[in-house]
Amino acid sequence: MKRMLKTAILSSALMMGVGLTGPAIAQDESVYIPNLAYRTGPFAATGTPLMNGQRDYITLLNERDGGLNGVKLEYDECETGYNTEKGVECYEKTKARAVVTQPWSTGITLQVLPKSNVDKIPILAPGYGFSPMADGKVFQWAYNPPSSYWDGASMILKNISDGNLDSLKDKKIAFLHLDHPFGKEPLPLLEVLAEKHGFELVPIPVGLTEMQNQSAQWLQIRRERPDFVVMWGWGAMNAGAITEAVKTKYPMDQFVGVWWSGHDGDLKLVGEQGKGYRSISWSVPNSESPLMADIKQYVVDAGKSQINQSEGEFDSVFYQRGLMISVILVEGIKAAQDEFDVRSPSPEQLRWGLENIKLDEARLKELGAEGMLVPFSTSCSDHTGHGGGWMLEWDGAKFVKASELLTPDRAEIEPLETEKAKEYSEANAPWPINEECEM
Amino acid sequence: MEFLNDVLVQPFADMAAAPDFLLQVLWEGLVGGVLYALIALGFVLIYKSSRIFNFAQGIMVVFAALTLVGLYEKGVPALLALPLTLAVMLVLAMTIERVVLRPLVNQPDIILFMATIGITLFLIGFGELIFGGENKVMITEQLFIPTGSIVFEPFGGFVSIEEKDLTAVIGAMVLVAALLVFLNKSKIGRAIRALGDDHQAALSVGISLSTIWVIVWFIAGVIALATGIVWGARAGVSFALEVIAFKALPVLMLGGLESVMGAIIGGLAIGILEKLFEIYWGQPLLGGNTEAWFAYMLALLVLLFRPQGLFGEKIIERV
Repeated sequence: MKRMLKTAILSSALMMGVGLTGPAIAQDESVYIPNLAYRTGPFAATGTPLMNGQRDYITLLNERDGGLNGVKLEYDECETGYNTEKGVECYEKTKARAVVTQPWSTGITLQVLPKSNVDKIPILAPGYGFSPMADGKVFQWAYNPPSSYWDGASMILKNISDGNLDSLKDKKIAFLHLDHPFGKEPLPLLEVLAEKHGFELVPIPVGLTEMQNQSAQWLQIRRERPDFVVMWGWGAMNAGAITEAVKTKYPMDQFVGVWWSGHDGDLKLVGEQGKGYRSISWSVPNSESPLMADIKQYVVDAGKSQINQSEGEFDSVFYQRGLMISVILVEGIKAAQDEFDVRSPSPEQLRWGLENIKLDEARLKELGAEGMLVPFSTSCSDHTGHGGGWMLEWDGAKFVKASELLTPDRAEIEPLETEKAKEYSEANAPWPINEECEM
Repeated sequence: MEFLNDVLVQPFADMAAAPDFLLQVLWEGLVGGVLYALIALGFVLIYKSSRIFNFAQGIMVVFAALTLVGLYEKGVPALLALPLTLAVMLVLAMTIERVVLRPLVNQPDIILFMATIGITLFLIGFGELIFGGENKVMITEQLFIPTGSIVFEPFGGFVSIEEKDLTAVIGAMVLVAALLVFLNKSKIGRAIRALGDDHQAALSVGISLSTIWVIVWFIAGVIALATGIVWGARAGVSFALEVIAFKALPVLMLGGLESVMGAIIGGLAIGILEKLFEIYWGQPLLGGNTEAWFAYMLALLVLLFRPQGLFGEKIIERV
């Protein structure tokens, strides 16, 4: 009797479950956006605010507008710890439903890149990944707007040379970088530019276990006495380098980093002593903007955000950059929805969307994010947009905008992009090329 | 010929040409070595008393430092946060002994090693949940650790010594000396060593395994806190500190897993030699970043001739 009763209860529960989930699946039309996030591990300090920003913009659209054009956006994170193997596992785990891949590491991007042609899911790597991905004819499924690493390197050199790279002749530039695919990414361009403009490039790699004790690297800087130090740092490496620079008394105004080396949390460690340090950036935080007011009202104050308010994360460069990354993705999804007249675009339709992003000043103003992101547009052959960037400067307490909009020297970069894209496609042959740029 | 000159002559010529720079390199190597020795000590103590290779030592450094900074951020005064953190480490040691180690007594070493991987994963998640993943500033000044620098001008050049590095070196030396006295002179210290020599024999004379394990894990926690403060003062407190535990592995290979002296001498030797090699051979000849592998190569060389490490015990087992 008891057994029968148990069976009856269990069956009823199962039927109720089926009854509840059946219609729910049918109703839940959504766009599934996985993110290969890293909130744990040695890079968690930089990853967390970025992921929070990405997540919060999607939450805002769902809460304020009921989604995008009436369809909910389903944001989901798969934790990689910035580990390439785990990243590939996450890609395999999420690809069945994914409309996009956000790999979040140059190492993971390089692993997933060959798979994109087969799985036909676009890779979106804003401000990271392999710079030649700009060549849309070769990398049909990969996007790295609004500026590539090579754009960043070009802008830094333009800025420190006051626009004339020939003035760097006979000068010495130390390139302090993480010994990882990300850190080595700008080296091919820097080597070409060093030869062309006659400056001496001193690459200084920093290993993963040396990120927090860079005394050897900074002893080398003391010995070499470079005119500038350009940093391609990530996570704990940034804080390690900046504290060593202070210790070595290296002039902060000759020390410039890429956009991932401009994190408020890293500079807070040195505070006033870091004054003058600069970082190129394609986003600028503006907590007074209408977009941020909405984020505060619908997400943060509503208790739907994971940000740490006591640490000032809301105002930070990385949190607000995370928001901008989701802005870029959502613009791509919106473009696909409008073009194909669908609520939930397929990955192939999103590919078209990402090739037709038009985030000009007017559109950014419409979104309430005027001045927070460099204006740019993508096309079938240009998957980056090359919007440029601004120099941000640490004033002792926060990063402030310290330059007009800078643009990369495309004439110098483009031939190398084409050459390296060709090299990549040949090394990974057979590699499909979209010569006519047709979908 | 030129190659031989670059390898055998030029580095020494560079050292002689800029002796102040050489002194700076040696000082930085010494500081690095002391820090490596501190991490290695945590491993050695636990291995010595329980034959467990504690994979969780790295994350214990992060956890201790995050607890200290986290308590301070919650409004606890720094000088109170310090004993409170020690109390947290004691509770952690007791919990590990009660929940993880006690049920696994008499299990093969590999099971206990796997259990410490479990502890690592738990502490990563637990720490992240409570403290978040952001980089936090170590409360150096609040703990009255000086932050200025002392500049000497020997040989017409300059050598800069950070006061916090100097404090770290002195602090580590005091800690190690206290530890050696404790292990060699106190009753509990002798019990720890007895347990390390022979579990069964130690138990038969009434030494409590549970108590000793709690004490040893607590001491490892104290060392983790000291390491966390010193490393955290250099580049902030975040989960990235966990990575530095890897630097202890070659120290252990070199010094031997059971030897406190081995950890200290191994740490200092690796710290100084890897810095000298990186600056005078690695950077000019090999493109730099030799610190990532140099220590392992050195340890490998030692293992070829002394498989038990420089100070390890030679174990002969009948089969």
